[in-house]
Amino acid sequence: MTTAPTVAPGSVSALSARELRRAAWSRWGYRLSVVAGWAVFVGVWYLVARFVFTPQQLPQPHVVATEAWDVLTQRDFSTNIQASILRVVAGFLLALVLSVGLGLLIAYSKWWRRLLNSLLLFIVSVPTVSFAILSLIVLGISPMGPIINAMLVATPYITMNLAQGLTGVDRRLIVMSESFGRTRPQIITGVLIPSSLLSILSGARLAFAVAWRMELLTEVFASSEGIGFQIRRSFESYDIRGMLAWAVLFIIIMLLIENLVFRQIERRLSRWRSPEVGTTQ
Amino acid sequence: MATVLIENLTKIYPPTLNHARQVQALGGLNMSITGNVFVAIVGPSGSGKTTLLNIVAGVERPTSGSVRALQEGVPAQIGYVFQEPRLLPWRTVVDNMLYVQDRKSDRSRREAEFYLQMVGLSEVADLYPSQLSAGMQQRVGIARAFLVNPDVLLLDEPFSHLDALTGRSLRDYLQRIWLQTRKTALFVTHDVTEAVELADRIIMLRPGGVAYDDIAITLPRPRRPADPAVRDVQDEVLRRFDAMGAAVRFGTAQAAR
Ligand SMILES: Nc1ncnc2c1ncn2[C@@H]1O[C@H](COP(=O)(O)OP(=O)(O)OP(=O)(O)O)[C@@H](O)[C@H]1O
Ligand SMILES: [Mg+2]
Repeated sequence: MTTAPTVAPGSVSALSARELRRAAWSRWGYRLSVVAGWAVFVGVWYLVARFVFTPQQLPQPHVVATEAWDVLTQRDFSTNIQASILRVVAGFLLALVLSVGLGLLIAYSKWWRRLLNSLLLFIVSVPTVSFAILSLIVLGISPMGPIINAMLVATPYITMNLAQGLTGVDRRLIVMSESFGRTRPQIITGVLIPSSLLSILSGARLAFAVAWRMELLTEVFASSEGIGFQIRRSFESYDIRGMLAWAVLFIIIMLLIENLVFRQIERRLSRWRSPEVGTTQ
Repeated sequence: MATVLIENLTKIYPPTLNHARQVQALGGLNMSITGNVFVAIVGPSGSGKTTLLNIVAGVERPTSGSVRALQEGVPAQIGYVFQEPRLLPWRTVVDNMLYVQDRKSDRSRREAEFYLQMVGLSEVADLYPSQLSAGMQQRVGIARAFLVNPDVLLLDEPFSHLDALTGRSLRDYLQRIWLQTRKTALFVTHDVTEAVELADRIIMLRPGGVAYDDIAITLPRPRRPADPAVRDVQDEVLRRFDAMGAAVRFGTAQAAR
C-alpha cells in the first residue's frame, strides 16, 4: 500500500475511478454469490430427492427441468401465463392508483391516518386463503376474483410505503424551496415526489410479490385458467412433476420481473446515492 | 437599494409536546438596514437568530410586529444560505442551482456555471452532492444564494458545521464574492471574530431575542484575520460580548432570588 499513487486533494476523477473499480469488484462478488446460492439450492434438492424421498414424492431437479421445458413448449403454456400475468398486472396497477389516494390521506390527515392504518393492518393480517375462498363464494369462477384479490393485498404495502416516504421528507428542503420562492407544484415535483420515490418502489416490489401469490392462490380455487389453476390440476391428478414444473416456471418469471423491471428502475432512481451505498446490493 | 425594516418584531412559539412552556424567540426587535451593508447578527444559542432570518425570508410568520424587506419599494429577492447545505440529494450540483431559477435556458445554465466557478467548483457541476465534501457542498449553497441575484442575502452560520480550516477558506470566498457584488447581507454567527472579519455592523442579541448592542465596524477591506487592527477590534467586540453574558447571568441570578 505504501507505493500506491497519492491522490491529489480535490482531484475528483482519480477518486471516483478508484471507487468505480471497487464497485466493479463488489458487483462481481455479488453475482458470484447469487450463482453459489442457486447451486447450493439445487444441490440440496438433488440430495434430498435422491436419498430421502421417492421420485413420486419429490422428483429430482433435472426431471422437473425437463417437464418444465415440455410445459414451456406446449401451446396452453402461453395462454395460462398470459392470463396470470395480465391479472397480476391489472390488480397491481389498480392497487397503485388506489394507493396514491390513500397514501396522501394518511400522510396529510390525522383522522384518515388512524382509520386507514387499522384497516390496512386488518387486510394484511387476513389469511390469504380466506380471500381466495371468499372470492369463489362471491364471484364464482371468474377472472375478477384474482384481480380484486391481488389489488387488495398489494394496496397496504404501496400505501404504507408511500405515506412513510411523504412523511419522511426532509422539512428543511421544503423550507429551502419556499425561501427561494418555489411554488407548491414545484415543491411537489421537485422535493416530495423524488424523495419518496425509492420508498414507494420498495413498497411496490413487496406488493408485487404478494399480489402474485394472492393471484395464484385465488386461481387455485376460483379460476379455469392460469398458473394457479394448472398447479391445482396437476395436484388433483397426483402429477407432482407437473406441479413442480409450473412452480419453477412461476419462480423464473418472478425473478425475471424482479431483475428486469424493479431492479433496473431502482438502479435508475438511486443513481444519486454515493457509490458505497449504491453497490452493496 | 435594498432596505430591511424590522419593527417591534416578536415571535413566541406556543408550547409543544416536548416543551411545556411557550418560548419567546424574539422580543420586540427593532432594526433598520439600508443599502449595501454587511450586517452580522451575533448572539448566544437560542437567542432567535435563525428565527429572525426565517421571518425575513418569509418562511415563518411573526407573532407581532413587522418585517419588510424591500428593493425600490417592491418585495426584495431573497438568497438564503443555511447552516447546512440543504441541497437536493437526487440532483446534480448544477441542477441544484437551476432548481431555484425560474427560467430554464442556456443563459441560466451559464449563470449557474459562473457562480460555481466563483466558488471554485466548475469541475464538479455534474456530480451529486453525496460525492462532494461538506465544504464543497456548503460552497454550492453559497453559489446558489448568489445565483438568484438576491437583493437581500441571508446567511445562517454557514461555516459552523465545518472544520476551522475549511471555514476560514470559505470565509475568504464569501468575502471575495461579496466585495464584487455588495449585496445587503444579514449574516448570523455566534463567532465574534468571524463577525468582525466580515461585517460593517454587528448587532448583538441576547437571550429572548432582544437587541443588546449595535457596533459599527469601519475597518478597510479585504480584512485579514492576522492583521493587528482587526485583532484589536475583535478584542473590543469580544469584551462587549462577554460583558453581555455577565449582565445576562447577573440579571437572571437576580430574578431567581
Ligand atoms: N419551530 C419551533 N418550535 C418551537 N420552538 C422553537 C422553534 N424554533 C425555534 N424555537 C425556539 O426558539 C428559540 C430561538 O431559536 P433559534 O433557532 O432562532 O435560535 P438561534 O439563535 O438560531 O440558536 P442557535 O445559535 O443554536 O442556532 C429557541 O429557544 C428554540 O428552542
Ligand atoms: Mg440557529
